[in-house]
Amino acid sequence: MSKDVTQDPETDSEKLISTDVSTDDADGDVPDESQVRTVIESQDLDVFYGDTQALQSIDLEIPARQVTAMIGPSGCGKSTFLRCINRMNDLIDIARVEGELLFEGKNVYDDDVDPVALRRRIGMVFQHPNPFPKSIYDNVAYGLKIQDKTENLDQKVEQALKRAALWDEVKDRLDESALDLSGGQQQRLCIARAIAVDPEVILMDEPASALDPIATSQIEDLIEELAEEFTVVIVTHNMQQAARISDKTAVFLTGGELVEFGNTNEIFENPESERVEDYITGKFG
Amino acid sequence: MATDTTTDDGFGQVSRVKGVVFEYLTLAASLLGIVSLAILLSYVSYDAFGLDAAAPAWYVVFLLTLVAPSAGFLWYVRDRSTVRSSISGVLSVILGGTLVALGLVVVLSIIVGPDVWFAHSLFILGPTLALLGYARYVDDSAVWAGTAAGVWLFVGAVLTAIDDLLLVFGQQLASPFDLVTMPEELLLQAAILLGTPGVYFLTVLVPAVVLADRYVASRSNDRRGHSLAVALVLVTFAAVPLVDTVPAVSRGSWLLVVVGFLTPLGVYVALNAADSDSRLGLAFPLVVLAGLFAGRLVVDVLGVARPEPWFDWQLLTSSASATPADAGLYPAIIGSVFIIVLVAVFTVVFGVGAAVFLEEYASSSGPVGKVTRFIQVNISNLAGVPSVVYGLLGLALFLRLLGMGAGTVIVAALTLSLLILPIVIISAQEAIRSVPDDMRQAGYGMGATRWQVIKTVVLPEALPGILTGTILALGRAIGETAPLILIGIASFVTWAPDGVFSRVTAMPMQIYGWAFYPDPGFRHGVVPAGVITLLAVLLAMNSVAIFVRNRYERST
Ligand SMILES: Nc1ncnc2c1ncn2[C@@H]1O[C@H](COP(=O)(O)OP(=O)(O)OP(=O)(O)O)[C@@H](O)[C@H]1O
Ligand SMILES: [Mg+2]
Repeated sequence: MSKDVTQDPETDSEKLISTDVSTDDADGDVPDESQVRTVIESQDLDVFYGDTQALQSIDLEIPARQVTAMIGPSGCGKSTFLRCINRMNDLIDIARVEGELLFEGKNVYDDDVDPVALRRRIGMVFQHPNPFPKSIYDNVAYGLKIQDKTENLDQKVEQALKRAALWDEVKDRLDESALDLSGGQQQRLCIARAIAVDPEVILMDEPASALDPIATSQIEDLIEELAEEFTVVIVTHNMQQAARISDKTAVFLTGGELVEFGNTNEIFENPESERVEDYITGKFG
Repeated sequence: MATDTTTDDGFGQVSRVKGVVFEYLTLAASLLGIVSLAILLSYVSYDAFGLDAAAPAWYVVFLLTLVAPSAGFLWYVRDRSTVRSSISGVLSVILGGTLVALGLVVVLSIIVGPDVWFAHSLFILGPTLALLGYARYVDDSAVWAGTAAGVWLFVGAVLTAIDDLLLVFGQQLASPFDLVTMPEELLLQAAILLGTPGVYFLTVLVPAVVLADRYVASRSNDRRGHSLAVALVLVTFAAVPLVDTVPAVSRGSWLLVVVGFLTPLGVYVALNAADSDSRLGLAFPLVVLAGLFAGRLVVDVLGVARPEPWFDWQLLTSSASATPADAGLYPAIIGSVFIIVLVAVFTVVFGVGAAVFLEEYASSSGPVGKVTRFIQVNISNLAGVPSVVYGLLGLALFLRLLGMGAGTVIVAALTLSLLILPIVIISAQEAIRSVPDDMRQAGYGMGATRWQVIKTVVLPEALPGILTGTILALGRAIGETAPLILIGIASFVTWAPDGVFSRVTAMPMQIYGWAFYPDPGFRHGVVPAGVITLLAVLLAMNSVAIFVRNRYERST
């Protein structure tokens, strides 16, 4: 991936990434607003399930090669937003999306966008570890096989498992069923499966919610490492986790509104809105 | 209920009268069902095995040599689940293997014929395997070879099918196909030179043994697979002199028995022989066999009067006859297997196809959703329609409208397929629905297309459920009589069918016919023996279904 993306001149001018195109290195430790490129941008995004509205006019810009956390009370639409990004909502019959969601400057809800091609560029890790009931090897090789990228398969599988910090634990049992792994190992396997195909973005929906503290901290380390190469969007219910690993934080509140979005340290140190402060400090129901 | 007196410092009592009454009522209901079935079965077996001719001493001998050791064995291992599961596994493999061997004999030597089989299989598979072998061993970046292999698999199958159809309709003119199918003609000549056993050895036995070897090797990391392969080939040749003494079994059929029966059994034994508990389970069939032989020996030595069974080798290998002693089920068995093989093909293709469409493709909302629900309700209702109605449908559709011949294999197969299609669809839908949605989400999340999700996630997960449902439905089809009567299946056919358009009879039909013969020998001997045969086939099919389901439940 080259960092300075030159836009296709045929795209609508308002869909171009007009700001933030940077020639400078974007993965410095202290992200500087003006240097960071936006990869995903939602504009006035509404989502409905049948007649009920789950997201209300969301405007959000997700920067490249950083960790963006989504926090908020249960049912406020965090997962819904995540599923909008790679169009997993298409699989829900009653879901309807209005507004725009731009990925690399292109509205993913345009008619000419193939959701399958989109999902091959945006990987996803789910709340509950969901490895396929196949061998460990076949799980990691799955994406590569369905995308016909089968040259050097062994090597790519090994590399993905190493990046997911799982290789040492499974290298002698690659042919065993993935279901025999522990929950934390399964989740790291799911991460390995997602990064094996070299996506540009990784979406994670509460990836550590079913794990113990040790497995959780392994996953957190992993996420920070992944952010050097990938753009990571993570949903979490754990405030400390969001504070520890994310560069940006988006706070949703019940009803599907985005109430605050900004640099994580700013939001946690002095939130603008009182409701957000209550939520972060645990006073909020 | 342990204490009827309530002490003041206790927690008091909750009445369980209704619960207890209900429990015993359900027990009584199930006992009634089981006992009446057992009575019916023993009544039928008494006649079928001619037990009234046996002296009391005969019972005593077999009680001591067969029943007591087997029961003792089962009692001894009653608490050891590994032993029990390996007993049920090996029994299912024995029963299922018998069916598979029978199916192979019918399909390869009766329906297709060895020379046509040889020509077709080599014509289609030869180039495919050559291309795949090239891609695997010579140049592993040759993607074109894999693609070409897939294309040829399809094109070759279509070509041979067209060639066969032209033959059936007596095509005389030289056509471009003759050029394409020239190799086939040569292969036919080669098959005749090789002879039936040679053909089966090369095209069935060798691939089966290689597959068994690879399968065992993939499941265990020692060299058991090789020993199995060598043992199978040795047994095949060593038993030939013995096989030659049995008139009903040709050398060709023997090879197919090795493939269909001995190979799966060998694989099962090889995979379970390492663990001592499993090995003990494998010994159970040996205990039974030893008991049978010992009992026979003792009876011979003592000169005890034996039963005079109607259910014997003669029944299985001879044709219909007007005298009870000569009457046999051979054409009916072959006919039933022939029909059921076709039914299996039709229902798996259309039933599983429909289930996949309804579950994975059809949308559940909007106008399409309404149509889907309408279809769904109709399928459920069709599953309950009496079989005689399907017979009527077959009569109207296939005989009257399409003018197919009455009582032929194809008409019977199509009618029975219609009969069980709704059941197959419903059970396949159930199996597909039980695949967790998580799995599909994972697939889609990885950027798989719908077809890829179905192929790589849904179908592999749903397969055991689909198989169980289909096998049970096939069991129903094999026992149906009413629809067969309506489409004109005869109950007296002296020849086994040799093609899809030839006249056929089936086991239930043959039994039904015998029941009205004037000679009482039929009613009191041949009919019960036929019923036992039919039940044995059904039992074998069901045990395979149960085995598949158990294995599946254990692995998830
Ligand atoms: N498949 C669906 N069908 C109908 N309504 C849905 C569906 N999925 C979510 N919703 C509704 O949309 C709203 C947002 O749900 P969402 O799953 O996005 O919440 P969330 O923020 O991820 O909550 P949690 O933290 O509990 O996971 C909820 O009110 C929920 O009831
Ligand atoms: Mg959620």
